[in-house]
Amino acid sequence: MAAGRGSVILKTVKEIIVQFCPFESNVRGAREFLAAIGTEKARLTNSNCRIVADIKHDETEPVISIIFNDGERLIMKAANLTSREMLSFFDERCFAKDPQAHEKASKKSH
Amino acid sequence: MAALCGRLLSCGGWFPPHQVVRHGSKAVTRHRKPMHILRQKLLAVTEYIPPKPAIPERCIKAPKKEVQEPSGFEKLLRREVEVTFNENKMITVFQNNSIKSEDLKLLRHRLLKHDIRMKFFPNQILRSYLGNTKYRNLLPLFIGRNIIIVSKEPKAKELLQTLRNTTQISLLGACIEDVLFSRQGVVNYSRLPGMQVVRGEIVSGLTLMTSQTCQLLQSGPVHLAALLEQYLKQQSEAATGLKGTESLEQKEIQGSPAS
Repeated sequence: MAAGRGSVILKTVKEIIVQFCPFESNVRGAREFLAAIGTEKARLTNSNCRIVADIKHDETEPVISIIFNDGERLIMKAANLTSREMLSFFDERCFAKDPQAHEKASKKSH
Repeated sequence: MAALCGRLLSCGGWFPPHQVVRHGSKAVTRHRKPMHILRQKLLAVTEYIPPKPAIPERCIKAPKKEVQEPSGFEKLLRREVEVTFNENKMITVFQNNSIKSEDLKLLRHRLLKHDIRMKFFPNQILRSYLGNTKYRNLLPLFIGRNIIIVSKEPKAKELLQTLRNTTQISLLGACIEDVLFSRQGVVNYSRLPGMQVVRGEIVSGLTLMTSQTCQLLQSGPVHLAALLEQYLKQQSEAATGLKGTESLEQKEIQGSPAS
């Protein structure tokens, strides 16, 4: 992965909203994604980024919507995706936006 | 050896039918004597190969599922889970979004002030226990990292107030007094007034009807009495009015002849 194994860099992200219904059986990916972006390390990369967990009970599909700093929206329907796939895709988009931040972070970790 | 040599000479010089191969180490040794290569080869070639059945056994026999006995630690944890679920009236399940350990410690301290406890159990044990009890509908919640927050008394309000500003753990669901709640349900539950207030409201609602019976029974005669009074009043006013007009007329008559 471009950003380094396991770490998430939120420099270019304004807001992340994770919606899911915990009583459904297809929410594993969404929950793991939320746990991965909620780590202290990830939060420290951007303290202005808002992470919202919207927990509902209306049998809707789990959806993760991400709003970037430049206004772009990324919506991932997490019902049939694993957290790893989602994280790698999210990383790709972040890297595409700001490759320098990712290089700095990888240099720091090395 | 000497007897053998004698027999050989008597045969007339032919090749001996028996050859003594007893050489090297003694026959009976204390260690295992290594087999001669020829003997090894012979034994390998003449090994018994049992006949194979037409249908191999693995196609017919069902594979044995190895049932592993739970270890002592697992049994202990299971007992703890049982005790927790039996003793506590309020059981809430939160998702742990990688909260920092210092924040967790602070939170634990704040919740202990209200006698609310945090419990951590492995998902496997929880699933094996809850699958057979009345809490089986909580099963889908136990995926990934969770925290179970329990309390003997249902203190949803205090819980939500303490956890209002923490984003690192999120409420998934709860079972309060044997009733399942979602997140919104817990929020609504916390907004309910206390038992005393609710009881007071019910009692006042029921006695409202009975308190009106007295009034209802009396309303008829009271209305009649009011009407009669008004009638009397009107009559007396009419009578006084006539007398007043008569006196006025008399005064006028008296006044006019005087003028």
